[in-house]
Amino acid sequence: MGPLIPNELISFEWSSIIAIIIGICFGFILEASGFSSSRKLAGVFYGYDFAVLKVFFTAAIVSLIGLLYMDYLGYVDMSSLYVHPTYLWGAIIGGAIMGIGFVAGGFCPGTSLSAVAIGKIDAIFNVLGIMVGIFIFSELYPLFEPIYNGYFQGNLTLIDSLGVNPYWFVFILTVGAIVIFAASDMIRKRVKKVFY
Amino acid sequence: MVNRKLVKFLSLRYKILAAVLIVLAGGLVLLPKYEKHEGISPEELLSNAISPERYITTDELADRLINQDPTLLLIDVRDENSYKKYSLPNAINIPLNKILEEDSKPYLYQDEYDVVLFSNDNFHSDQAWILCNRLGYENLNVLKGGVNTWFNTIINPKIPAENMASNEFDLYSFRKAASMYFGVAYAEKVSKKSIVVKKASGAKTTTPKKVIPKKKKKKMPIEGGC
Repeated sequence: MGPLIPNELISFEWSSIIAIIIGICFGFILEASGFSSSRKLAGVFYGYDFAVLKVFFTAAIVSLIGLLYMDYLGYVDMSSLYVHPTYLWGAIIGGAIMGIGFVAGGFCPGTSLSAVAIGKIDAIFNVLGIMVGIFIFSELYPLFEPIYNGYFQGNLTLIDSLGVNPYWFVFILTVGAIVIFAASDMIRKRVKKVFY
Repeated sequence: MVNRKLVKFLSLRYKILAAVLIVLAGGLVLLPKYEKHEGISPEELLSNAISPERYITTDELADRLINQDPTLLLIDVRDENSYKKYSLPNAINIPLNKILEEDSKPYLYQDEYDVVLFSNDNFHSDQAWILCNRLGYENLNVLKGGVNTWFNTIINPKIPAENMASNEFDLYSFRKAASMYFGVAYAEKVSKKSIVVKKASGAKTTTPKKVIPKKKKKKMPIEGGC
């Protein structure tokens, strides 16, 4: 049956409308759960709040388990889902830069926009900084191009590159995630509480 | 009033949620495994199998061969011995049991040629067609009746009876012409040709016969002299 758009159960023209609706819901939930606060986001790095880690890890695992069940039952064809292409060194360097920006600014790109929507001044400066970064990257694109387009590994998933059974992989990942959640809770209890 | 049991239960909510996640993920590991279906859906395969669209008649094939259609790719799915004995012009041999091998994939899984599968009848070629169609290969056709019908219609067409419709005669003349294209010699044509052949062979082999015309030449002037 699914995915809905590649199998033309929903026509392709609807994709951007659906994307906007999902985006609005995502932004609303980010704001409603307090993710537009830079203190809450930066809490992951200082050890007083692990909500971000828990939320995103849980979301990934729930969708992974759900997709695997739906694939097993024949509702979704996993092989026709989009897999993001892997540019190894581009991803590593970009991830490091993004991480530094995350600690320094206290926002990731999505939450910074939802914080702009509720009028946070630090978020406005964060978004301006992102714009400047995009401008610099675009101007120096010929310089970065070999890293940006190089080291292409194909549309890989962890399951492909490790060559393991997907079901066992998901089970181990889930158990690992819950161990990490428990450990992060223990860290949070030992770290001095920060009120924000 | 606050329900104490509910409060106690809710204080464990994260542990319960974690347990639910682990149980669900464990369920994935314990699910009975089954072979994944590849290619087109069974419903589609059935409707394709019933449809006679895949068949190409021998007349149509002959017409395309004579017009030297470059998009045609003939594939003989019979075994190698039959292929060596007789096959259609320019056919490739991929025996039925090798149809799913990696080497035969480039011939079958492409969209540049109209592939025509054939065997002695259309039985084995239908099987080959089903196998390939299930994998989603396109542009595959089956020669209706296979080599047997090819032989009965094109190579050795039946002469229509006197009282048959005129289009039967048209078809016969087409088939006859096609069979001559594919190298069949007809009696009325052969009798004319045979003279040529005899002359050619005579010229090659009989040097003593040259003596005879010389004798005739000698006789001729004598006769003329009379």
